[in-house]
Amino acid sequence: MSRLEERYRLVLRLLPAGYRQEWEDDMVAAFLESMDDDDPETAEYAADYGRPGLAEVASIVSLAVRLRLGGSQAPARSYAWGQAVRLATLMAMLTHAVMVTASIAVTLWLSGKIAWLPAPAPAWALTPPSGIWHTAWNLAGYAWLPAYLALVLGHRRVAQAVALLAIVPPAVTTAVEQATNDVPLSVTPWAVRLIDILLVLAMAAFHRDAPPVPRRPWLLAIPIGILLVPLPLFAIQATSQAPRLLDWPGLSCVMVTAAIAVRLAGRASRQSASTLPWSLALTLLAATTLALRLVTLPDYIGQAQRTALGTIAVTEAIAVLAVALPLAGRAIRALRRLPPIPADGQAPTTPTG
Amino acid sequence: MTEPAFFILTALVDAPRHGYGIVADVAELSRGRVRLKIGSLYGTLDRLVGDGLVELDREEVWQGRLRRYYRLTERGREALAVEAERLAANARLASTRLRDQRNPITGPVPS
Repeated sequence: MSRLEERYRLVLRLLPAGYRQEWEDDMVAAFLESMDDDDPETAEYAADYGRPGLAEVASIVSLAVRLRLGGSQAPARSYAWGQAVRLATLMAMLTHAVMVTASIAVTLWLSGKIAWLPAPAPAWALTPPSGIWHTAWNLAGYAWLPAYLALVLGHRRVAQAVALLAIVPPAVTTAVEQATNDVPLSVTPWAVRLIDILLVLAMAAFHRDAPPVPRRPWLLAIPIGILLVPLPLFAIQATSQAPRLLDWPGLSCVMVTAAIAVRLAGRASRQSASTLPWSLALTLLAATTLALRLVTLPDYIGQAQRTALGTIAVTEAIAVLAVALPLAGRAIRALRRLPPIPADGQAPTTPTG
Repeated sequence: MTEPAFFILTALVDAPRHGYGIVADVAELSRGRVRLKIGSLYGTLDRLVGDGLVELDREEVWQGRLRRYYRLTERGREALAVEAERLAANARLASTRLRDQRNPITGPVPS
């Protein structure tokens, strides 16, 4: 086996085992033939040092996503994972959309643009940005709202492109600020950006075979989400003098814990295969949130209230674990009850006639 | 029917072909416009096999490598004919309108 073949087979390991069993040798033969060259010296060089091109690898990744995160016609397990990733992505995108929509309202209020609301305290008033570019740069973060709308309306590639607009400018700002020591070095903004990038990648689960997103409930979820999360949060912060003890990883822990608690409470009456993707999706979100909470703990080291903040953070992590472990256990048991992906898949059979 | 599926079925009309044979023929048929990557080819081929439009013809070993040849089924031939007729009808529609509609700058399209 040539080095090129080894490398290509390594890429093919992204595909499910059952699929590889039927198609791998055929795919390898087709790939190697596509790399053949009339000149024996060039062919030999390619066999030793050649690698599958980026476009070839991308086509395999795309096929792997379609097979592992299947649509409604896919085997039950593949569909369950596909729906789970799609639901988790929608919930995470919804959170971003809700928070930015609320922050637009808060920014307008603090700038004195909402006349019918009582004026904010002078200490809260915003200094207008220095120029048009600065304003545009700050507005990039709001792109999560159109990105979410695009995803719900079925424009996956648009959603991915717009979400990148929301990720890159804040990342550049953080990099510049941390490099020039305007703000202390911290893990949190980078951990959050990493999750955002994972979110953009996870949107690949909304492929052609995936069922369309039910528009009405997911659009209605924006105003409901605003009423449930940022509104009470802002009211507490506006009326209380207590310092901010709930950072973004902490708030994520609270939201995920609450969502799983509601799910566990309502679960007894509805136990069916159709609810499994929700359990899996919440488990995925819990794992991500827990990882975010743990990797951002070092940011508290330099802070004056590190003991209080650390205790709160550990409590948040324990709360997530306390609800996520039973949910994950049940989800995995339900997943095992589903029929396994057949080894022969949709592979061709040798004709008899 | 997607464009790659259309070209793969078209490539199999005259003779059974193996994986790379399909890639090469599709590139030629589309005058180089559709260059199938291996992942895309098999992603489409497994659907066509699953839908019963394509089936395995035979297996051969060539220069130590496995070659599986695929052929069009009767259902595949019908599906391709229906799609080709649909595309041709669309093309006729556009051509007729273009012929009938006077271009304000160059005048009517010569027939």
